[in-house]
Amino acid sequence: MLLFLQSLLNGILLGGIYASYSAGFSLIFGVMGVVNIFHGEMVMLGAFITYWMFTLFHIDPFLTIPFSALSLFIFGYLVQRFVINRVVEAPPMISYILTFGFHLIIAYTALWVWTADFRTVTTGYSGLNADIGGIIIPYARFVTFVLALIVVAGLYLLLNRSEVGRAIQATAQDKEMARLMGVNIHRIYAITFGMGAAITGIAGSMLSTYFIVFPQMGLPYTIIAFCVVVLGGMGYIPGALWGGMILGVVQSLTATYLSAGLSGAFTFILLFIMLIVRPAGIVGKGIVE
Amino acid sequence: MRKRCFEVMIAGLVILLASGIALAQQKFKIGYANPLTGAFGRDGNLVKDAYNFWADLVNSKGGIEVRGKKYPIELIVIDDKSIAAENAKFTEKLITEDKVDLILGGFGSDSVFAGSAVAEKYKYPLISGAASSNKLFERGFKYYFSTLGKATEEVRGCVDIIQILSPKPKTGAILGSDILFTALAAEGYKKYAVQNGIEIIHSELFPITLQDYNSMLLKVKRKNPDALFVGSHLMVAMKTIKAMKEIDFTPKMVTFSYGPTVPDFIKNLGKDVEYVIAASEWAPNLPYQDPLFGTAKQFNENYFKKYGRHPDYVEAASAAGAYAMQVAIEKLGITPPVKEEGRVRLMEELRRQDLMTFYGVVRFGADGANEAHPPVAVQIQNGRLVNVFPKEAAEATPWYPMKPWKER
Repeated sequence: MLLFLQSLLNGILLGGIYASYSAGFSLIFGVMGVVNIFHGEMVMLGAFITYWMFTLFHIDPFLTIPFSALSLFIFGYLVQRFVINRVVEAPPMISYILTFGFHLIIAYTALWVWTADFRTVTTGYSGLNADIGGIIIPYARFVTFVLALIVVAGLYLLLNRSEVGRAIQATAQDKEMARLMGVNIHRIYAITFGMGAAITGIAGSMLSTYFIVFPQMGLPYTIIAFCVVVLGGMGYIPGALWGGMILGVVQSLTATYLSAGLSGAFTFILLFIMLIVRPAGIVGKGIVE
Repeated sequence: MRKRCFEVMIAGLVILLASGIALAQQKFKIGYANPLTGAFGRDGNLVKDAYNFWADLVNSKGGIEVRGKKYPIELIVIDDKSIAAENAKFTEKLITEDKVDLILGGFGSDSVFAGSAVAEKYKYPLISGAASSNKLFERGFKYYFSTLGKATEEVRGCVDIIQILSPKPKTGAILGSDILFTALAAEGYKKYAVQNGIEIIHSELFPITLQDYNSMLLKVKRKNPDALFVGSHLMVAMKTIKAMKEIDFTPKMVTFSYGPTVPDFIKNLGKDVEYVIAASEWAPNLPYQDPLFGTAKQFNENYFKKYGRHPDYVEAASAAGAYAMQVAIEKLGITPPVKEEGRVRLMEELRRQDLMTFYGVVRFGADGANEAHPPVAVQIQNGRLVNVFPKEAAEATPWYPMKPWKER
């Protein structure tokens, strides 16, 4: 029983990590319909910002979060404003190709600048955990989980309660109507991409404390984010939490009770079933139906 | 008369140009395809450093000396991006388009497995110092050589070490990522664990792309093995240690087939890697030497001077492989450009060779594996790798059992 509870908890915490870096992917897709293939590279950039600030200036990884959020916001804003906006109304294939190009450019530039070395952010509290009645809770993952909840809730509130949020929602729902109402949709797109990039950068900073950081780490994160968002519902922000949890728990229980080798297979079987049976995600609120 | 003078000048120019081309060819063009990016990018860069170290050293003395004349070395490396099929493609490109004189081996069994098949086809001897999967040696190849032993044998020291531990571990768990080398390391662990009377209570191969190790290790932790044996590369080893700490799992001992000897391992994980045991095939305190690199200790020191870090054993093995090829060329009197006949003679000479190097004796068996190399086990103690097994090469006694995470 203890093993089951521990594995379940691991899965939930892992789900929190997945949700933290998938929410931005969902936001960007939801508003602009862009499947961002360089999403994982934004995780990588967030992780590297933390790594360098920690290594060079000994700044605690969690204190670097505002820096990676701001840097990634600016990066995301500029990329959308000056590049993706030019093709955002073209057929989806064009934006796949463009973001795939960005994936290659960013990953290989990072490789050139930072080399292929594997790096870790090892702090005094790395790997520390709480033991509650035999159940182990790693602190860093727990903090990521809580932060993922805050980020998703914050994003949800921002979209529903603020002026910008309403403009973003209006643009997502009917961009022509939004344009007629005086919304500068290209600016809204840039802000949305910036926000998506910022929360992804935050996730990168957090997971650098327990995952390995290296220039080519990005692509697997993009793939997981894609799975999470399909499970939770494309474009439905709280769906990132649902998708993350389902994926995390399924993978964890599979690794514990069957074999780690099957956890990847189960991920894609789940994805396959969802796309056929429930393309709008587990709670049915995604925009792909 | 003027016309005649012009003709002579033209002829002179042609001769000068021709001799220039001839002069330009008076060097050994040596190529290799090797992972510089991707999953094995870090490890592959170590091999590149090792070959550069060898080539720079030889070139600083004027080059490879053949019949009293010196021929410098030009190294050409192509990044295979850690994809085996790319390695084969680029090895073929080196041979057919770049027309290299000789070929060297890159990092990793999968890449070398593919690349060496191409080398065999074109009759290019290929010595690898960073690939050791058994399958490499089971193909009946004539042109493939390795300064390492076989993967299953490499981990022997990591298991045999229990003979000097007290109390002796009784149970063990084996994990390995599901690629050629690490899966074979897992097989080797099993073979020697059984020989040493260890009961294997868990054995599992997992995908190298697995992102989270916690849930898998949780299962192992619940079975409470005395020893954890991991078939690993650098990243697998790093992820395993991080996960062990996160789920608070401390067996009495943990060993890795590869990873901890790469300098990044200690640099990144700091105190968390104390007690870790790793397979190795070389250590700087071993009593070996050769005329080019000097003693094992001198190799280690000079390497440090050049790169600001100590060499890993695959770097030593790679440099020794390149040196073995150099010695064979010098002995046979082969000069560039090297033709097929020269490469066949080179292969035959390598098969006869019994060479003492700073890395130890290099003597290739009938299957191409170095049969003269004893496996070593090293342990991280106070932030440095020390030889702990076999006893005759040991610098320190092994730290055992591992101290629980919470008491460190």
